[in-house]
Amino acid sequence: MEVSGGAPKSKVKVGIPRALHFYRYFPFWKKLLEELGAEIVLSTPTSKKIVEEGVQMGFGELCIPMKVFYGHVLHLIENHPDLDYLFVPRYVAEDKDAYFCPKFLSLPDVIRILPNVPKMLNFEVNVKEFPISQSVIELGKQLGVGQSRALESYKTAKEYFKEYQDFLRKGVPVNHALRLVQRDLPFTVPKKKSKGDIKFLLLGHGYNVCDTYINLDFQKKLRDQGIEVITIENLPESLFKVPVIVNKRLRNYWRHEEEIMQAIRYYLTKGRDEIDGVIFLISFACGPDSLISELIMRDMKVVGIPFLDIIMDEHSGEAGLLTRIESFTEMIRRKKRKLEMDAKKKVKSKIKSEV
Amino acid sequence: MIVSFPNMGPNWVAFKTFFETMGAEVIVPEPTNRNTIKFGVKHSPEFVCFPFKATIGDFKNALERGADTLVMAIDCGPCRFGFYASVQERILRDLGYKDFRLIPLDQADLLEFKWVKVLFDVSPSKSVSMYSKALKAVIMLLKKAKLLEDIQTAEGLFRAYERTQGDTTHVVNDLLQQLDQTNSLSGLRKFRPIIKNTFANMDIDRTRNPLRVGISGEIHISLEPYVNIDLRKKLGEMGVEIHQSISLYDWVMHKLHVNFHRKWYEHLAKPYVPIDIGGECRWVLGEYIDKANAGFDGFVHEYPFTCMPEVVARTIITNKLKKMYDMPIIYFSFDEQSGVEGMRTRLEAFVDLMHSRRNQDVKTNKVKLVNNQKQYGHYGNNFCHECIELIQPK
Ligand code: SF4
Ligand code: SF4
Repeated sequence: MEVSGGAPKSKVKVGIPRALHFYRYFPFWKKLLEELGAEIVLSTPTSKKIVEEGVQMGFGELCIPMKVFYGHVLHLIENHPDLDYLFVPRYVAEDKDAYFCPKFLSLPDVIRILPNVPKMLNFEVNVKEFPISQSVIELGKQLGVGQSRALESYKTAKEYFKEYQDFLRKGVPVNHALRLVQRDLPFTVPKKKSKGDIKFLLLGHGYNVCDTYINLDFQKKLRDQGIEVITIENLPESLFKVPVIVNKRLRNYWRHEEEIMQAIRYYLTKGRDEIDGVIFLISFACGPDSLISELIMRDMKVVGIPFLDIIMDEHSGEAGLLTRIESFTEMIRRKKRKLEMDAKKKVKSKIKSEV
Repeated sequence: MIVSFPNMGPNWVAFKTFFETMGAEVIVPEPTNRNTIKFGVKHSPEFVCFPFKATIGDFKNALERGADTLVMAIDCGPCRFGFYASVQERILRDLGYKDFRLIPLDQADLLEFKWVKVLFDVSPSKSVSMYSKALKAVIMLLKKAKLLEDIQTAEGLFRAYERTQGDTTHVVNDLLQQLDQTNSLSGLRKFRPIIKNTFANMDIDRTRNPLRVGISGEIHISLEPYVNIDLRKKLGEMGVEIHQSISLYDWVMHKLHVNFHRKWYEHLAKPYVPIDIGGECRWVLGEYIDKANAGFDGFVHEYPFTCMPEVVARTIITNKLKKMYDMPIIYFSFDEQSGVEGMRTRLEAFVDLMHSRRNQDVKTNKVKLVNNQKQYGHYGNNFCHECIELIQPK
């Protein structure tokens, strides 16, 4: 059907806050919304102003990622008055046995009531109740797209997201990959700079590990000290197949925490010698992490893997953080050297005794 | 087998009956106290929610007094509560408490009957007679829980009318003792009139027309007076009528899908939070709306510091509902550092605020106080209505 006369219809503008699940699902959202004919407007990377405004909006007991999310929403409202929609999906459950944290369950509800928010697109992922494809069809309807094209878009988006995840599993840092997605560039693995002499597993929610403003560019701080960093997204898919048994009766029911524990399970057992230390980035007042980190800390003690938990809030200072990383890595390097020396001595004495 | 369980205000009375009827020996948890909390704070994850710290302290007390079986409710998300039992067990074992069993009582959906397994677990004899015992245990639990709820309802009302401060508290304590001693079904059947009569015999001043306040929030904080610094009593002694619908009975009924006033709250809250996100979030919202519609003077929202669902509830009330319904609300988030003094000052200011609003409303005829007759509309359950009869001026 021809659109009679007139300029081509301009695309629907959809704003996405660069916070929380952005770090997990952005490639999927982008592909999906674009296939459905929308144009995406992202908020800028987290800045001082965004944090300050967010902190003002939320109150003291909220975890920092939520405050930052508020900040990004306010930023979008302020700088893009021409937005047609805001995209704040409700993630309840992505697989049958697991929820997201309660704050994700109610995310659109707390955003909807802010002053001057644009209309919001409804998109609910809750496979306990209905399949994602159904939510996609609903989403399509709101954007004026029919069912079959919506499903087609969903397929494309899923494939693209799979490709993205496989790309991450080659060891590419999430932020690099996200940059490629934003610029519609192909997934090419960057040249590796020199490898570090020690290797850390960096645990935590994507929005803590990858928001370089909030975590004071934590990953770079580590790399600067010659440390190789891997995050959960870099680990092979096979680690995440079997659910973690916390104890006989508890089936972990938090999606993201489950991934953290699955990763840890590997390093506690088979992968014991593949890493030199584990750092867990936690935001202050985070519900799930307060319990999970306790379990992990206890397991680490049993196996003897050095473990550091860093609790972040809007007041975290650069200097204190640096000292903690330095003393932690220093401790590990010393330990490693000692082990190597011991090993050499052993070899020497063995040679001697053989002589 | 010696069973114990965590504190939740006077609800030990109901739990005790439950396990004793099953034939188990019971250690009633010692009332939560400073040492309980101290232990909990020392050994729990730093910023886990407060009930975790309080209940692990209860467990330690029970273990030291010889309990070998601990029962803890669990659920399966989305909030932290489901993890409590497992993490607590791990911590206790790491501390060297080895010889105990921790039995999780799955409360996610009582109609799935997973809790029946617990009955089998705590029952010493495994014979056929167990079934009838189990049935009786459940009935006793429900009956006592209901009576405890009634006591709570009356307590909230009467404290605002007592002539001698402390009378209500005495009456409540006496009734709890009596209820604890009553262990036959026929005795329990007669207990409701006893509650009513005991309160009816109190020396009260019916000419008062006190402020009316609803209280809601996270369930453990709402029910355990030590952790909420006895908020209900403090507010009551400032001459305020307290209406709290949260109780053990209320919760159990909800989990059995027969709690209609909760369904009503869900309905009211639906436009703001359409799904259950854990804790009491959607019911707090519903109750705030309901109480505002019933003409209450104010609302108290209490929860553990950083409690996820309640923080969401608070956000939604402050940013939306408060503006729509304009009923004064005060928030209390509790942790081990909460102190009596700060609370008292805030409560006094809150009461002053409500008074001045009430006076304003009387002036503008928005509220009519004819003969100090108190009007409640359709608010409250049957027992509440019976109590209201008792406080109307003669
Ligand atoms: S998982 Fe933790 S950090 Fe993330 S939203 Fe929930 S409470 Fe906040
Ligand atoms: S509802 Fe609140 S107190 Fe209960 S587990 Fe969740 S966060 Fe903790």
